Amino acid sequence: MLVRTFFCARLGVHIAASVLALSLVIGTASAQTLSVGIEIPAQLDPAFASADSEILVLSNVYDYLVEIDAANDVQPGLATSWSVSEDGRTWTFELRDDVTYHSGAAFGPEDVVSTFDRLREPDSGLPTADVYAGIESVEASGPAQVTFTLSDPNPFFLYDLSDNHALIVDADATDLGTTFDGTGPFRVESYSAEDRMILAANADYFGDAPGVERVDLIFFAEQAAAVSALRGGQIDLVLRMPTPLYQSLEGANGIERISVPTNGFDLVRLRVDRAPGNDPRVVEALKLAVDRSAIVEVVTDGLAVQGSDTPIGPLYEAYYRPDVTPPARDVERARELLAEAGYEDGLELVLNVPDSGDRPDLAVVLKEQLDEAGFDIEVRLQPESVYYGDGGWLEVDFGITGWGSRPVPQFYFETMIACGAVWNEAHYCDPEVDALIETAGSTLDEEERVEAYAELQRILASEGPYVIPYFFPQFAALSDTFTGMDLKAFPGRTDLASITVR
Amino acid sequence: MTTPGGGGAAAAAPPAQRAPLAGVRRLLGELYARPTSAIGTTLVALFVLLAVIGPWLAPYGPTEQILSDRSQPPGAAHWFGTDRLGRDVFSRVVTGARDIFLLAGGGTAVAVAIGTVAGLVTATLGGWWEEITFRLFDTLLAMPALLLALLLLGTLGPSRSSVLWVIAVAYTPIVARVVRSVVLSVKTREWVAAARMQGETLPWILTREILPSVLPALAVESALRFSYAIFLVASLGFLGVGVQPPNPDWGLMVAEARDYVYLTPWSLIFPAAAISLLVVSVNLAADGLGRALRTETR
Repeated sequence: MLVRTFFCARLGVHIAASVLALSLVIGTASAQTLSVGIEIPAQLDPAFASADSEILVLSNVYDYLVEIDAANDVQPGLATSWSVSEDGRTWTFELRDDVTYHSGAAFGPEDVVSTFDRLREPDSGLPTADVYAGIESVEASGPAQVTFTLSDPNPFFLYDLSDNHALIVDADATDLGTTFDGTGPFRVESYSAEDRMILAANADYFGDAPGVERVDLIFFAEQAAAVSALRGGQIDLVLRMPTPLYQSLEGANGIERISVPTNGFDLVRLRVDRAPGNDPRVVEALKLAVDRSAIVEVVTDGLAVQGSDTPIGPLYEAYYRPDVTPPARDVERARELLAEAGYEDGLELVLNVPDSGDRPDLAVVLKEQLDEAGFDIEVRLQPESVYYGDGGWLEVDFGITGWGSRPVPQFYFETMIACGAVWNEAHYCDPEVDALIETAGSTLDEEERVEAYAELQRILASEGPYVIPYFFPQFAALSDTFTGMDLKAFPGRTDLASITVR
Repeated sequence: MTTPGGGGAAAAAPPAQRAPLAGVRRLLGELYARPTSAIGTTLVALFVLLAVIGPWLAPYGPTEQILSDRSQPPGAAHWFGTDRLGRDVFSRVVTGARDIFLLAGGGTAVAVAIGTVAGLVTATLGGWWEEITFRLFDTLLAMPALLLALLLLGTLGPSRSSVLWVIAVAYTPIVARVVRSVVLSVKTREWVAAARMQGETLPWILTREILPSVLPALAVESALRFSYAIFLVASLGFLGVGVQPPNPDWGLMVAEARDYVYLTPWSLIFPAAAISLLVVSVNLAADGLGRALRTETR
């Protein structure tokens, strides 16, 4: 009896203690704040934002019509379901009718119409004007329905709708970029430019409730500083970092390293509409001079996937052709070609490089390889914001550009390679290539598209003025007090709401 | 009747022109009389030696990438280790010494030359020339040297020669001011007045009567400017607007090694130590030089 009473008493104490402990855990959990170190966002109007940090802020405050998941499949967003007409030109979307903005205003089809009308405005100078040039009209066709009419069928239309910029904003919104009235899982509580932004969980969010109550986005001018802060425990998450910083976190206490393969790549391109790039022998010499596997080994510590000078990487399984490879390195042949082209004493070229990611290292390794093959390269590093900021990257003869990962390859062809495309930095123009891009982007026959992409890969690998040495993985590091992060190939699209306290 | 001021001129003669070798010997004696300036002077001399023979001392090329020896810690094969791209840090540091002397030293030399001539001539002449020159210099001085350097480099484009010119432009006004202040106190002295009355030409008065008085201050100022110039070259390299990769510029090496500080700390420590050591030694030597010249002209 005594034993039993004692036992019961002990059990009671145990239960009480457990309940107490549990409530403590829950208590701390709900009060938990996730601190994220990101680069300083400069442009927070969804139509203009482009950097990872900017998209990260906006995609967690606003929502897309449809989302793309890690497996590259289309998932519902503000639209719950959709259908396409027989001819592939009319798309109808059923919208959620229970969504409100953070300010309390109701979300409706007119917001979708005004958002896309703004993004596709031809004279706006927005990059999306090209992406959405195929939209003939957007109309509210019901109290919770919108209809898009296209001029031509577009097999990638759903992916286009989930373009980074296509965050739905209230039709009546003013001061975009300084005030943030979204529908997303977090609302902006305070924003102090160049310093930090505080996000609070949106209690009325239509999806799963965010895993943390509060997110502090702390702005860092450089990633080395952010990683140091992560090591010191001042922040919990860094979403983007160059290879050496990621490598340096191996075995770091309390930090989980996360990496995902992506189709993002560093592009080395030569401008071909004027000398010296307009001589095909120079382009061929460039491709022959590069040792791609050495670059993968040295610049990315072997963590990246070797590229073949085309923007289609192995992640686009159905379209990727592993048998297509650029010509193997041949230093002697490259020298001969340069001599034939009139550069027997060395072709002097300035290699322009933004000072971010692994690009400076790539430039230095590339310089050594090219100099061996008869080039005379002068590396010129520039701050990323300066290089991309004033359009200089579209003007220079020879340069390196980082291209982020996209769910479908058509994006790269239409913005970077087609004649006169907005970001055609090589000023490349080939009617045959254009026809293939057109086919790949409009045919509803998957076989035909696979063949068009295969042909594009063959052409670019052998004669495109591009060197794509690797597809880089995306690196992040998260404090092990948190879990549930699903790092996206484009890290700015990572959903912070899924992160919870471990 | 004697010429006015004739006796006075003999009494308050300008600093005597001694045999140059004896002067140097005495100066070195003064420099080595104090341990701090002795250390500073020795180290600066060693760095100068390194700048001259560095490329022959380096076991590897400064940009040579030895792919089999990436990220090696300091050891027998690589005294300062190798960086992530397989470059020998020791070779890069010793080869980089020449660059820093050429750029910081060259820029300082140009600044001292132009600053001295401008300060000497305009301050002696006085009047509008002096006003215009020094108001112009004042506008340059209103901007911090680094900001001025960034502005100029933004216009000139980053290259080694632009870095040299940027240092020259940034430091010429400072040198000119120092020269001017000495000239102003000297030009009314008796021996200068005497030379004028004897009908000496302006170049003679400038070089024989005024310049010798300016030299001590100028020597110290040049040494100080040099140490600031080293910092400026390193800062510009660090900010990525000065010397461009893969040149073995110390500031640039520190900037490049930032991301590797946990992986290959030696690729950051050695160039950073080289910068600090050189700046400290130049300052110690400049300090000693100032003392030595003060005792000499006393």
